[in-house]
Amino acid sequence: MIIDVNFVGLIIASIMASAVPLILASCGELITERSGVLNLGVEGMMIIGAISGFALMTVTGSLIIAVFGAMLAGVLISTIFAFLTQTLITNHVATGLALTIFGIGISAMIGKNFVGIPGKEFPVLFEGLKDTIPLLSPILFGHSIVFYFAFALPFITSYFLKKTKIGLIVRAVGDSPESASNQGINVRFVRYACILYGGAMCGLAGAYLSMIYTPQWIENMTGGRGWIALALVVFSTWNPIKILIGAMIFGGLTIIQFHMQAIGVRIPVQFLTALPYIVTIIVLVVISRDSRKIRLSTPSSLGKSFHKDN
Amino acid sequence: MNTNLKISNVTKIYPGCVANDNVSLEFNSGKIYALLGENGAGKSTLVKILSGVVIPDEGKIYLNENILKLNSPSDAKKNDIGMVFQHFNLFETLSVFENLIIDSDEKRESLREKIDTIMKKYNFSIDLDIPVLNLSAGQKQKVEIIRCLIRSPKVLIMDEPTSVLTEQETSELFLSLKKFSEEGILIIYITHKLKEVMQLCDEVAVMRRGKLVSVSQIKNENLESLANKMVGQDLKIIKKKKENNSSEQLININNLNFTSEDPFETNLVDINFSVNRGECLGIAGISGNGQSELFQVLSGEIISNKNSIEFNKNYIGDLNPQERREYLMAFSPEDRLEQAAIPQMAIFENVALNNFKSSNFFNNGLINESKIKEHSKKIISDFNVNTDNIDLKSQFLSGGNLQKLIIGRELITSPDLLICFNPTWGLDVGAINYIHETLIKINEQNKSIILISTDTDELLKLSDKISVIHKGKLSKIMNAEEVTSEKLGILMGGGN
Repeated sequence: MIIDVNFVGLIIASIMASAVPLILASCGELITERSGVLNLGVEGMMIIGAISGFALMTVTGSLIIAVFGAMLAGVLISTIFAFLTQTLITNHVATGLALTIFGIGISAMIGKNFVGIPGKEFPVLFEGLKDTIPLLSPILFGHSIVFYFAFALPFITSYFLKKTKIGLIVRAVGDSPESASNQGINVRFVRYACILYGGAMCGLAGAYLSMIYTPQWIENMTGGRGWIALALVVFSTWNPIKILIGAMIFGGLTIIQFHMQAIGVRIPVQFLTALPYIVTIIVLVVISRDSRKIRLSTPSSLGKSFHKDN
Repeated sequence: MNTNLKISNVTKIYPGCVANDNVSLEFNSGKIYALLGENGAGKSTLVKILSGVVIPDEGKIYLNENILKLNSPSDAKKNDIGMVFQHFNLFETLSVFENLIIDSDEKRESLREKIDTIMKKYNFSIDLDIPVLNLSAGQKQKVEIIRCLIRSPKVLIMDEPTSVLTEQETSELFLSLKKFSEEGILIIYITHKLKEVMQLCDEVAVMRRGKLVSVSQIKNENLESLANKMVGQDLKIIKKKKENNSSEQLININNLNFTSEDPFETNLVDINFSVNRGECLGIAGISGNGQSELFQVLSGEIISNKNSIEFNKNYIGDLNPQERREYLMAFSPEDRLEQAAIPQMAIFENVALNNFKSSNFFNNGLINESKIKEHSKKIISDFNVNTDNIDLKSQFLSGGNLQKLIIGRELITSPDLLICFNPTWGLDVGAINYIHETLIKINEQNKSIILISTDTDELLKLSDKISVIHKGKLSKIMNAEEVTSEKLGILMGGGN
């Protein structure tokens, strides 16, 4: 059998494309969690982003409005979460779960009118270069701007956390909100900002799904990706670069098992479908085994409410 | 340049308690001031007001005759007031350097130079690039001090700084503080330890129940006069009667070993000792040498070989704490709020927790609240716990009251053996005295104690026999009369 190198390139590109929403949502949630807030509403924020993006695109016809609108929708819904958990000091876990249920419900309701409407084509960059280098060209060129942003994001996030003052403050708040507050840092403000940023990234991830990856609206189209994104954050031990690795493994196995099913490999379909979940978690657990590093990168105050007493 | 800090008529009222009642004080640079008082006397509230964490209901603060508005910690910083809290305000998972630069707007490079200069000047040596959680308590405190020094403060407030330090670290701290004072920084030193006040300070202000009791020169005071001012009554000095104990063996530890999987824990190697009835065995050591592991093995939090612990002629090494209690053992762990009691639960609920089986607290799986409450009231009055509200969450009890409650809870079942770990850690003089009296009484009733403690004075006062734990190994067991604190010090450091 002769394998066409460009075909391999295309498969890798499709793996990367399927990793995009996971990277976006995980990197957003990572910032939220690094500030000590556990937002389990990722799935809900993604699906809201998906329907908002698709609806705005259909109604206004503008892709820019649609993409930014989806991010804004993510911000708005996460504001509810931020208000509840930071101002009214509700429990993070329960509030996050409620957010997901709310998001799935409301997106289905709004989405009723948009089922079956075809999406618009999203412009891609560097299309002219698509045939220049074998293997690499399909990987590097001809993708949407969101795609490139997603693959830059883990590195930006890592730089932000390690090298910038604001990143340091985010980590400090996640480590000990009490100490941060005594140092004069406005803990509530930092946490609000991190939650809203997480919401924006989840909104963008959702918009990518409904506008670029599969340009149409299907009810519940995030299909559990939000939960995978959450798992990636934890199993990567809050490390953006490991999120990238995890998302690629997950995306890769998802695509490869489709192809294996198509070729007719004699492995039970259920096992193949479960494979990405199992392997991703095993790999991430193995590469982040160091208990000292886990201790150092886990936000100590994760999921705990903080209220300043006076 | 001289610094003058004035507190004028400060009052702070919390629901149910007046933390500061019309307190006025004046401080001048060049001297070290002590603010002395028992736990709950209001000194912590006062320094929180000075550092902007708490806003007073009434009163004013003046720095060099200018009125200060302290509405937040950053206001205090802006006005050159530095503060080292009793519970460190550090970010454990961030590096030392990151901890130091977080509240500064300067460039990283220039800060690093500044920090290096400060460390050289005061002879501090700390690796700036390791995470804070790898530091000892003394080093963590130095990080806090450096954080203040970066801003060249006029006032430096230290809140109970020695409660987590070893003696070596304490004397290093005192040297540094004296140096700061010579350089013109006004130092306010909050403590309830009288010895330290006598050693370090020039002037002392004593607080009791939110009120300022006295201000005086150290040279006009002595240990007794300060103690009496602080407690508000004459303290009796208690002493243990050394008498011949029975030779009946109560507990015998035989070749006990424990190997931990956690690299931060200490392994126990070949532990052998026995305790007779009516005897108190003290186990000394610098913290982190296996004391908490030893306590856990003895209490059954860590299960060991069945034959390694013989108690009252039964082999109990493989039993859990609940089962061991049925053989009449009792435990008072080190961490009162994490291990001994559940902070969010009421006093009476905490009382019920160690008594699942051998009592009438539960009928057919239901809680018999009135029985438990009756029992709790008895403990509170028998053991002098200063509250009458048994529905109070235990986190609101002061350290001393909580410790009395815990000891009371353990003793009311009249156990044969009480194992306690740092029972007076962080307590004030009055409470320490009470706990010591209680422990002596236990021995007088022919019951035994294993006292694991890092406080050498306490061990020498209460023990009949003493052993030292170092790197998970016990020294030979010595008679307390033959031991001096110097000898213990050598053994604690690993010498012979």
